[in-house]
Amino acid sequence: MTLPDYHFLSAPLWLVTVLHLLTLTLHLFAMNILFGGVAITLWSSARNRWGGTQAVDYSRLFPAATAATVTLGVAPLLFLQLVYPRQVYAAAIVSGWFWLLVIAAVIVAYYAFYRASFSGQRSGRVNLAMLALGLAGLIYVSLVYSSVFSMAEQPALIQSLYAKNQSGWVWNPAVGSYALRWLHMLLGALTVGGFFVGMMGQDNPKVFSSGKVAFAGGMGLAAVAGLAYLVSLMPYFEAIVRSPAVHALAAAIVLSLASLHFYFRKRFWISGSALFLSVFGMVSVRHVVRMLRLRESFDPASWRIATQWSPFLLFLVCFVLMLAVLAWMLWLFFGPKKEAV
Amino acid sequence: MHYPFWDQPIGYGVLMATIAVFHVFVSHFAIGGGLYLVVNEHLARRSGDAQRLGFLEKLSKFFALVTLVAGAVTGVGIWFVIGLLAPSATEALIHNYVWGWAIEWTFFVVEIAAAMLYFYGWKRMTARAHLTLGWIYFVAAWLSLVIINGILTFMLTPGRWLVTGNFWDGFFNLTYWPSLVLRTGVCVMLAGLYSLLVASRLEPGDFKAKTVRLAAIWSIAGLVVTMLSQLWYWKAIPAAVTAKALQSMPTPIWFIGISFWLAGAIALGMVVLVAFAPRKLGTSVALVFMALGLAWFGAFEWSRESLRKPYIITGYIYGNGAEVTETENYKRDGYLAQISFRTGDDGADLFRHACRNCHTLAGYKALKPAFDGTDRAFISAIVQGTQHIKGNMPPFLGTAAEAEKLAGYLRERIDPRPLADIYKLEGMALGRKVYDLRCGKCHVLGTASDKSKSLAGQSTEDLNGLLDMAANLGEGMPAFTAEASERKVLVAYLQTLGKGGRP
Repeated sequence: MTLPDYHFLSAPLWLVTVLHLLTLTLHLFAMNILFGGVAITLWSSARNRWGGTQAVDYSRLFPAATAATVTLGVAPLLFLQLVYPRQVYAAAIVSGWFWLLVIAAVIVAYYAFYRASFSGQRSGRVNLAMLALGLAGLIYVSLVYSSVFSMAEQPALIQSLYAKNQSGWVWNPAVGSYALRWLHMLLGALTVGGFFVGMMGQDNPKVFSSGKVAFAGGMGLAAVAGLAYLVSLMPYFEAIVRSPAVHALAAAIVLSLASLHFYFRKRFWISGSALFLSVFGMVSVRHVVRMLRLRESFDPASWRIATQWSPFLLFLVCFVLMLAVLAWMLWLFFGPKKEAV
Repeated sequence: MHYPFWDQPIGYGVLMATIAVFHVFVSHFAIGGGLYLVVNEHLARRSGDAQRLGFLEKLSKFFALVTLVAGAVTGVGIWFVIGLLAPSATEALIHNYVWGWAIEWTFFVVEIAAAMLYFYGWKRMTARAHLTLGWIYFVAAWLSLVIINGILTFMLTPGRWLVTGNFWDGFFNLTYWPSLVLRTGVCVMLAGLYSLLVASRLEPGDFKAKTVRLAAIWSIAGLVVTMLSQLWYWKAIPAAVTAKALQSMPTPIWFIGISFWLAGAIALGMVVLVAFAPRKLGTSVALVFMALGLAWFGAFEWSRESLRKPYIITGYIYGNGAEVTETENYKRDGYLAQISFRTGDDGADLFRHACRNCHTLAGYKALKPAFDGTDRAFISAIVQGTQHIKGNMPPFLGTAAEAEKLAGYLRERIDPRPLADIYKLEGMALGRKVYDLRCGKCHVLGTASDKSKSLAGQSTEDLNGLLDMAANLGEGMPAFTAEASERKVLVAYLQTLGKGGRP
């Protein structure tokens, strides 16, 4: 009996790639709001900049932002593992303990944000310790992701690290290959977090000012770090400039500036949309960078395509239903209010 | 074989079970608890029972904290850990069922959003809107089970998929429906157990008694569905799988029996509780019920996973990640040629990729005590005949030279002294030890593989003759290579077995 071969993609590569990039953008946007929001709230509260209850109100939102970040992170990881299993699993295995501890770090951060939320409601004060603990958890996750996903783009590095140590306690030693990338991600998160803080606190001049500083300052610094990262990939930098990715990069930069422009005019819907598209552009560039770095060892186009249209269509139906039900639930939640009991 | 091997000291089975059992426990509660909340909210609103609504609000906070955080994140944790422990099987599952998982994700998103809004909506939403959210939550959570159940059961009974490779053939496999009903029953049972725990902290009185009774009824109802469908589930598994398990896997079978005892204990405890002490239920008693529930679920999940042996996906990928379709390649070119990540130590690489998925050297399912006091030739023979050993092990698909290499690696890490010195044994006790190590790996006394009756009336010379020709007695039988003193006590022990004795 000839057994089925599982080495295939069940949809065209372009479709899987689009889904990956789209869901990754959603995940990153939620993560950025969470990370940047927590960092700015923590910083401003520690320096007692805002006064009032604004910081407490923000800390009530972080559990929901964490839920969104975790939930939206599942799909891009799924699509990433579908196309790049050999790279992602191999890097994760070499750093197995660090990788697995991400789960513990997220649980700690999640509970810390809940604790901060509940204690803020009770006391009317921001629980700085819990917010700091949650932020530390997120920073750990960001470091592990940068280390592992950068390693995943360097098969020879994985081979050599594994040959020396199989315990799963291996951290990516090629710090130069991901330090700037990590910094760019963090600054990008501060940027989006600044947008979120400013938008939510638009009526409070002090809060809006904090958001504005984080948004504009973060964007500038993220741009510098991002460009420095691309330049640091010197052998690939030229290829990036010659590839369609350069258009995505240019569009992302223009969209970022447009976002900033509308933000200062407090036209948040346009600003937010431009910012989201900008992140999508950055994610697309990031995707091209991965392909370029892997091109000597792996070509995703080499996957055999054996479509499974019926489950895919069911997924599409469920996806649309998901959006509709989410909108309906939000309408129910924010709609007519009445004391329930 | 295409991946590095995570050589961590904890057994793979232990690590997987720790995360998986915890997650399935919480995730099943997440479904049943959603149903419990919304049904009881309906009843409480209809009767205008403000006290019950207050209790449900409190329960929903506990529910949100447990399910949204621990439940959801450990679910992602399973993703993380299966990719580390069984990357080949995970890759195969993802390639076949990516759209299944993607569909499940859409339900997961709705489930999480609904749970949060439900929790935060008690004070701000209309009753009707709040109840609607509760139902959305439950339906989305249960639908995620409907999807993941197809992938879980596929791993044990892939059925026609092995021929067609069709998504739906694998999804709606032989154990899909019984498993779905069983897990739905588990959800209801666990909801009862959790609400019992929350109710245990209420002040003694009529309300507490009523709440405890209701929780107990939920638990018993769930338990009845669960146990009946567990029988259905067992019947749905192909007879070849269950027969093999009954023949050579005493521990998982024992666990299945234990699961029935545990279910009986929970049911009996609930009846006693409802009849005699609903007002006095303390937290410690509620925690005992919870522990029994966890033990039941652990026993069921563990036996279910074990039934798949020697496969991780039945008939498709062995437990150690070796692919059935690659069998000829392994045999022809050897394991080492297929291992993409090598360390320079061939013995260690072979050990990791052939054995370490299930065994450690000195910890979980340790090989050291299984080979201490034996010799390289014996170890090599056992390696080459793993499929004949108790416990449904996968075959060693490498070459004879690789088996030798692996045996050499193991031999260097075991205690080479004679068994008498290692275990300080002599006489019949030493004979039994020699039997356990040299013969008992296949011929487990009291099971179908027990050959002791055929030894009846055999003389010392006959038995020595049998040991001399052991390698020719059957497929996979190793030559008897122990030293003379161990042979002598073994023969004496075998003679007592032949007489039906059990020294």
